[in-house]
Amino acid sequence: MDHSVTFTGENINATVTVPTNTLLADAALQAGIDIGQPCGGQGRCGRCAVQVTEGEVRRRSTLRLSPSDVEAGYALACQTVVESDAHIYVPPQEKIERRLTTDRVVAEVTVPADYDYDSVQTVKRLSLQLAPPSMDDQTDDWARLQTAFRLQHGMERVRCSVGLLRKMSDVLRAGDWQTTAIVETNRLSDNPTSRLIDLLPGRGDDYAPIWGVAIDIGTTTVSLWLVDLVTGKVRAQAAEYNGQIARGEDVISRIIYASKNGGGDEMRQRVLDTINNLLETACKRVKLDEGRVTPDQIVKATIAGNSTMTHLLLGIPAASIRLSPFVTAVNHPPLVTGREIGLNVHPEAVVDCLPGVASYVGADITAGALSSGLDDAEDVTLFIDIGTNGETVLGNRDWMVTCACSAGPAFEGAGVMNGMRATQGAIEEIWINTDTLEPTWRVIGGGKPKGICGSGLISLLSEAFITGVVDKGGNVKLEAPSPRVRKGAHGGEYVVAWGQETESGEDIVLTRVDIDNLLRAKAAIYAGFTVLADQVGVPLEGVSKLLVGGSFGKYINVEKAVQIGLLPDLEWSRFEFLGNTSVKGAYLALLEPRARERITAIAKRMTYIELSADNSFYEAFTSALFLPHTDLHKFPSVVEALRK
Amino acid sequence: MPIEIPKDKWPGSVRAITIGATSADGGTRAKSITVGGQTALPYMHFEAPMPNKPVVAVEIKSRKPEDWSTLLMNAWGDAMTSPAAWAKKAEEVGADLIVLALTLADSPSEAVAAVKSVLAASGLPLIVWGPGQAEKDNELLVAVSEATKGERIVLGICEDKNYRTIVATAMANGHLVQARTPMDVNLSKQLNILISDMGMPKERILMDPTTGALGYGIEYGYSVMERLRLASLQGDAMTQFPMLVTPGLEAWKTKEAKVGEGVPEAWGDWNARSINWEILTAMALVESGADIVVLRHPESVKRVKDAIGELVMA
Repeated sequence: MDHSVTFTGENINATVTVPTNTLLADAALQAGIDIGQPCGGQGRCGRCAVQVTEGEVRRRSTLRLSPSDVEAGYALACQTVVESDAHIYVPPQEKIERRLTTDRVVAEVTVPADYDYDSVQTVKRLSLQLAPPSMDDQTDDWARLQTAFRLQHGMERVRCSVGLLRKMSDVLRAGDWQTTAIVETNRLSDNPTSRLIDLLPGRGDDYAPIWGVAIDIGTTTVSLWLVDLVTGKVRAQAAEYNGQIARGEDVISRIIYASKNGGGDEMRQRVLDTINNLLETACKRVKLDEGRVTPDQIVKATIAGNSTMTHLLLGIPAASIRLSPFVTAVNHPPLVTGREIGLNVHPEAVVDCLPGVASYVGADITAGALSSGLDDAEDVTLFIDIGTNGETVLGNRDWMVTCACSAGPAFEGAGVMNGMRATQGAIEEIWINTDTLEPTWRVIGGGKPKGICGSGLISLLSEAFITGVVDKGGNVKLEAPSPRVRKGAHGGEYVVAWGQETESGEDIVLTRVDIDNLLRAKAAIYAGFTVLADQVGVPLEGVSKLLVGGSFGKYINVEKAVQIGLLPDLEWSRFEFLGNTSVKGAYLALLEPRARERITAIAKRMTYIELSADNSFYEAFTSALFLPHTDLHKFPSVVEALRK
Repeated sequence: MPIEIPKDKWPGSVRAITIGATSADGGTRAKSITVGGQTALPYMHFEAPMPNKPVVAVEIKSRKPEDWSTLLMNAWGDAMTSPAAWAKKAEEVGADLIVLALTLADSPSEAVAAVKSVLAASGLPLIVWGPGQAEKDNELLVAVSEATKGERIVLGICEDKNYRTIVATAMANGHLVQARTPMDVNLSKQLNILISDMGMPKERILMDPTTGALGYGIEYGYSVMERLRLASLQGDAMTQFPMLVTPGLEAWKTKEAKVGEGVPEAWGDWNARSINWEILTAMALVESGADIVVLRHPESVKRVKDAIGELVMA
C-alpha cells in the first residue's frame, strides 16, 4: 500500500508517495530533503528528529526523545516508518538539539530576581550638594564633605585615601560644590564605616551604570563578567587561557616556579596581564549610547580562584600549599584595593578575593557550591567541576564534603594537539558514522573549524570508542578501514578534518597523546567523586542530582560523557550542566552581600577529604584509566551501546 | 579434642592453559605443559588439590648476550654460542620450558631460523620474546608465528601500547600470548580485556604482572600477584589466567648479583650469593602464586624445582 507523505518546514514543502513501512529518512530523501544523519542512521544521535503532525507512524527507537516529545509527535526519521498518509514537520536543527534527552545546555545568565541595587549593593553612587565656603564659614573641604555625607546620606566617618584628598578640592570647585561620590559602604557591621572610592564633579546620572567585575581565575582558563551594578546585568563576558600556563600546566609546577628566585613576581605579573587584557576586551564589548567603558571605571571586583591562584595573584608565598601538612597562608583574604594588587581597575576599587576551604579546595569551589545551589539543596547532590583540578562537592543543606584531584587541562582544550577553548571556530560536537568512520561535526559560530574544545573532545573520544576507531585502552586501531585512521608521529591518530576543510589548512587530528591526556583527566575526575562518595558511604545511585560545572563551553552531551567514563552511568535526567559555576558564584557575591556571606558560610561548613591519605584514590584512578572503566558492570548503558 | 580447620570455598578458578602442541595436537613437541587450574590459594592443599604445579622456564637468547654476568657465561659455557645447543643444555639441567629471547640484531629470517633450531634441538614447549621494541617485536614475532603455525608457542611480550599485531598473529596461527603490565592489578586486567576483545580465546593468555628482585620491589610484585589471584578466585573472569614472572631477569640486574669485587666481605661468596638471590626471588614469587618462573642460572633451575617439589608434596 502506498502513502502520501508531506514534509514542511523552513523552506521545505514537498510531498512524495512511498510504500508502507518506508523510513521517514528515505521518504525525505526521495522528496529531495536532506535530513542530516550524523551517526549514519542508527538512532544513536537523535539529530534527525522530526514532528509527525498528522498520520500514523511506527517508531523503532525513541532513545533520544522524552515521553512528552513522543506525545507531541516527535520521531527519529532514521528509526520511524510510515503506516498511513502523513504530514511531517522538519524543525530547524537548533530546535532539535534543545529537545534531546542527552544534551545539556547552560542557561543564560539572569539577574537574581530580588536584586535591588538601592538596598543591597555595597558600592553606591551618591550626589552631594555642599555649601560653598566663605569668610563666614572657613571649614576645610574634607570636613565640609563629611558634613554633607552625614546630613544628606546619614553616613558617619567616611574614610578616604590621600590620593583622593589630593584631587578633592579641585573636583569640588569644578562642580561648583555639587559632587558625586562613589562609596563603599559596610552597613552590615555593628559599626558601619564607609570608604570613598571616587569623587566626580557635578551631579551624576542616577541610571548610568556603575561597573563591577566578577573574575574566575582558573589554573587553565581565566573568565570574567563585566557587570552593571545598578541593574545587575552582565554586560560583557571574556575568557582567555591563564598566562601562567607558560610556566607549568598544574598548580604544583606553578608553586615550584613561584618559589624560586623572582618566580613569584613573574607569576603574579602573568596572571595580572591576563586579567588586565580581559578587562580591556570586556570593556570594548560593551555597547553604550555615548562614550565607552574603560577598566578604570570598574569600582568593585570579586575574584574566585583556587587557593594557589589566589595566593599567586596576591603575591603571597604559596610554597606551603605543596608541602606536608599542606596549609595555605590564608583561606579568607581581607578586602584590598585595585591599586594594592596591580589590577587595572579603578585604583581605589574594592577587590574581594572570595574565601576557600583548604589548599586544594579554593574559592572557585565555594563559589561553585553557591551558584549551583548545592549548599541549599534538600536532597543529596553531587557537584563535579570538570576543570584542571577536578574538584567535587557532595552534600546538601545539612552537610558538605569536598575533595580535589589533579585532572590536567585536557577538557579545557589545553595539552591536546588541536584543542582550543570553547570559542568561535571550535568543534563542539562530533558524530562518527559506524560504517564509513566519516565524522560529522558542529562548529561554534559555524564556519571552518580551528580546533576542538572540551565538549567536542568528549564527544570525539566517545564516538571513536563506540565506533571502534579506538579500543578500550585508547589505542587507535590502525587496521580500521578508513584513510582517517593513520600512523602519526606519536602512534595512531584519527583525522577529524582534512586540511582543505579547516581554517588553518592543517589537518585537525586526535592523537594517541591526546587520548592519553583525556583518559588521565577523566580517570582522575571519576576517581575523585567515586572515592569521595565511598568515604562518606553514599552510593552514587543515591545521589538525586548531579551538577556538572566546567569552563569548557555552553554545552555537554551527557551520554557521551558517560560513554567515556567521565560521569557515572545514571539516568540522563539526573544531570544538569551549569557551565562556569565559579564565575557565576563570584557574580552573585558581587551583587549581594547575602550571597557573599553564604560563600563564607560554605567555606566554613565544607569538610575537606584528602585523597592522598590512603591508596584508594590511586586504585580508583587506574581502574578508571580505561574506556569506559575496567569494571564494566559500573557502565551497563555503555555495554549495551557497544553490543549494538 | 579434634580441631576443624576452616576452609575457604571460592566461587572462581584459574584457567588451565596448555603450552606446546604434541604431534597428536598438530605440533612437534615431545610433551606439552599445562599450568593454572587452581581453585584455592597456593599450596592450601587442605582446601583443594593443586591440579598443576608451577614450572620453571629457562631463558636463552638467539645470540650470545654481551651484557650477562660472567657467572652465567661460565655456567652455560659453549652452549651459549648457538640457541640450539643452549636449549638442549637447558633441557638437560631440568627446564620445563624454554624462553627464547630474540635480539634487535636479528632479521625476521634469522629469528625464524633460531626458533626452528630450538624446536629441532629440544622437545620442550617454547616461549618466544621479541627484543622489546614495538616495531621490531611485531616484525619478528609475525614471521616466527607464521613459520611455526600450530606449535602453541607463547608469543611475548604484549603490552598495552603494543599488543594488537602480536595477538592477531597468535590467533591466526594457533599460538598463545604473554600479556605484561607494570605491577598493577587494574592495568593487568585491562590488557587482558583488550586482548580478549580482539577475539583471543581465553585459554591462550598468560599474565605477566612484572616483578622486582629481592630487595628491589619484590614485595610490590608479590602483593599484586596475590591480589590478582584473589580476584580470580573471587570470580573476576579477566584475572583468571596463569601468571608468568621473570625472577631471573630481575635478580641478575641487582648489584648483589652483578658485582663480585669491591663489596663488603660479609656479602660472602659471589657465585653462591648470586644464585641464592635468583632462587629466593623466584621462590617468593612461586609462593605468591606464580605458575611459570623464568630463570637464568642452571643451578637455580635445579634448586627451584626441588623447592617446588617440596611445596606441592606438603
